[in-house]
Amino acid sequence: MKTDIAGARSERDLAGSVAAPGEPGADRGGLSPAEAGRRPLSSGLRVLRGAQERAPVAQLVVIIAIFIYGTATIDGFSSWSSVKSMLVLAALLGISAAGPTLVILIGGFDLAVPAYIAAAATMTTQLSGASHWPFVALAALIVALAALIGAATGWLCHRFKLEPLVVTLGTGAFITGAILVWTNGTADGAAPGWLSRFVSPAGHTLGLGIPPLIVMWIVLALVLIVGLRQTVTGRRIYATGMNPRAAEYAHVRTRRLWTGTFAVASALSGITGILLAGFAGGGDLTIGNPYLFQGLAAIIVGGVALGAIGSYGNTVIGALLLTVLTTILVGKGAGQAEQQILAGVLIALVVGIHGRERRVRDRV
Amino acid sequence: MRETVALFRKHSFVLALLLTVALFVGNVIAQSSFASWSNVPDQLATFAPLAIAAAASMPAILSGNGGIDISIGPTMSLVNAVLVFSLFPHHVPAPLAIVIVLAISTAVGLVNGLMVGKLRYPPVVATLCMFFVLQGVILKIAPTARQASHNWTVDLGQSVGPIPGGLILIAAPVVVWLLLKLTPYVRALYSVGGNDAAAFSSGIQVTYVRLLAYALGGLFAGIGGIALTALVQSADPAFATEYTLLAIAAVSLGGTPIGGGRGGLTGTLLGAAVIYLLQTFLAAVNVSPNYTTGVYGLLLVGALVFGSLVTRGPRLGGAQ
Repeated sequence: MKTDIAGARSERDLAGSVAAPGEPGADRGGLSPAEAGRRPLSSGLRVLRGAQERAPVAQLVVIIAIFIYGTATIDGFSSWSSVKSMLVLAALLGISAAGPTLVILIGGFDLAVPAYIAAAATMTTQLSGASHWPFVALAALIVALAALIGAATGWLCHRFKLEPLVVTLGTGAFITGAILVWTNGTADGAAPGWLSRFVSPAGHTLGLGIPPLIVMWIVLALVLIVGLRQTVTGRRIYATGMNPRAAEYAHVRTRRLWTGTFAVASALSGITGILLAGFAGGGDLTIGNPYLFQGLAAIIVGGVALGAIGSYGNTVIGALLLTVLTTILVGKGAGQAEQQILAGVLIALVVGIHGRERRVRDRV
Repeated sequence: MRETVALFRKHSFVLALLLTVALFVGNVIAQSSFASWSNVPDQLATFAPLAIAAAASMPAILSGNGGIDISIGPTMSLVNAVLVFSLFPHHVPAPLAIVIVLAISTAVGLVNGLMVGKLRYPPVVATLCMFFVLQGVILKIAPTARQASHNWTVDLGQSVGPIPGGLILIAAPVVVWLLLKLTPYVRALYSVGGNDAAAFSSGIQVTYVRLLAYALGGLFAGIGGIALTALVQSADPAFATEYTLLAIAAVSLGGTPIGGGRGGLTGTLLGAAVIYLLQTFLAAVNVSPNYTTGVYGLLLVGALVFGSLVTRGPRLGGAQ
């Protein structure tokens, strides 16, 4: 019996359909055994639930409701400049959560995200500011190093059947330690100016008043969503995340897939670090810390769950929701404390609607 | 050779034990004063918060089905903030203060347990929510760092009579755990962690076993919060995340798999000892503290790979 974090889900999915993995509702589509224990739903509710399982409808409704509320009660809330800064913040959160989304879909867990982000931000600052590396070279170095460590992580976890949760704790400490030894904890220099303009809400793309970062996020989101849905590799990621054994029987090379997915995810975290160095003007070892749990919050609120449920689109919605909500709270004068408490309650509510596990008595 | 492998397989904490002994000897060689009696209370006081945090993470992990408690660090931090900001300034007597903070931390654990056991939230999600809420509450209670006024925990950070305070603190969760071992509870916890459906079929109240596991983690985290306060004599909202991750690492090093159902408190405390002794050893041999984090990361991954090799053999690849 499989007992890791994804365990409960993948066992449930044995009962569900393996033929169409990745459909958010694939495992609850027909009358699964779990359905038998549920209260019968009226047809209206059934339609709503069906829609929710296909797309994060409730989250979208909440975003729109919050946005209307903000527009009505806060001056300048829906002005273009305010929307732009919200989108930029959401883009940073969303891009930081892209890697962890992939890792969760394949059935892993990544606690090393802050380390990748901090290391990349520090390297960008130090190499570009103090050592005058050309940007392309340092970006290539960062992405290559991150992908290498990520690939090693994924391979180790799969080869030795280790818990990704703990292994990434170790690799995260190793990366942080390496950067500490190299820079003594403080990076000299600053991120290149054009990078800061690239990330700034006041930036322009091809003369249009759209910040380049937002364009980059849209492109990334499209690539990931289409890639996960339409390519063979994407479908294999879902198959592996849902039921690794079944995937293996279907000739999916799950080890190669774990190695590759962790490599891509880590490279994405590295890119987040480069962008954040531009956003903050420089990097230090703590710059990535908020993104571990906030990114996880965006993923969960959006409706991605362990066992290959959801897609990057869910994470995008989650990042937008959290950002709009935070902006409203700040506008209403709420402090850091209230924001944190509300984030906790919100995740509990959202997961309460769609993400709970089956009863033990239904799993016997 | 075969006997050695068999030993590792039977007792998952053997690796942690060997590392602890080796690092302890290393510490004594590098710095002869390490084992002197006058040094012991300080060492134990520094070790206590980590050891107890590890003990607090253990019940949730043992309970299986992805059980994990991310909110251990913030719970300790909450107790720390309540002590320094609310109880010390009003000179609340020690017994009452202990009852209050342990009640708070156990209540936090109970809510986690309710969400995981009763409401069937995935443990990572439930305790992540708690993590956020607690961090907010801590910021409310302790908006800035503050030095503690003179109080009863000072002795616990040094010695209470002839006994090192750290020893008393670490003994507290150990005694609770040993007492629980006299009841059917611990056995039930292991069977739920091993295979919850099978445990359910044999009549174990899986829901309540899980619920209690998280409550127990909360209780231990409360003791950990007292140990943290005794050590640092101040409150700082920044303490929150650090202990969660170190504690999970300690539990893993100690041979308790994240999947649950195996391992135990001996290994967990030894795992914490490995992390602690590694830090003191590197400091003693004059390695820059900058290296500590990296070495600890490598050690953690190395220990996991080693544990996997000796306990499960190298041939198992592919699908899980």
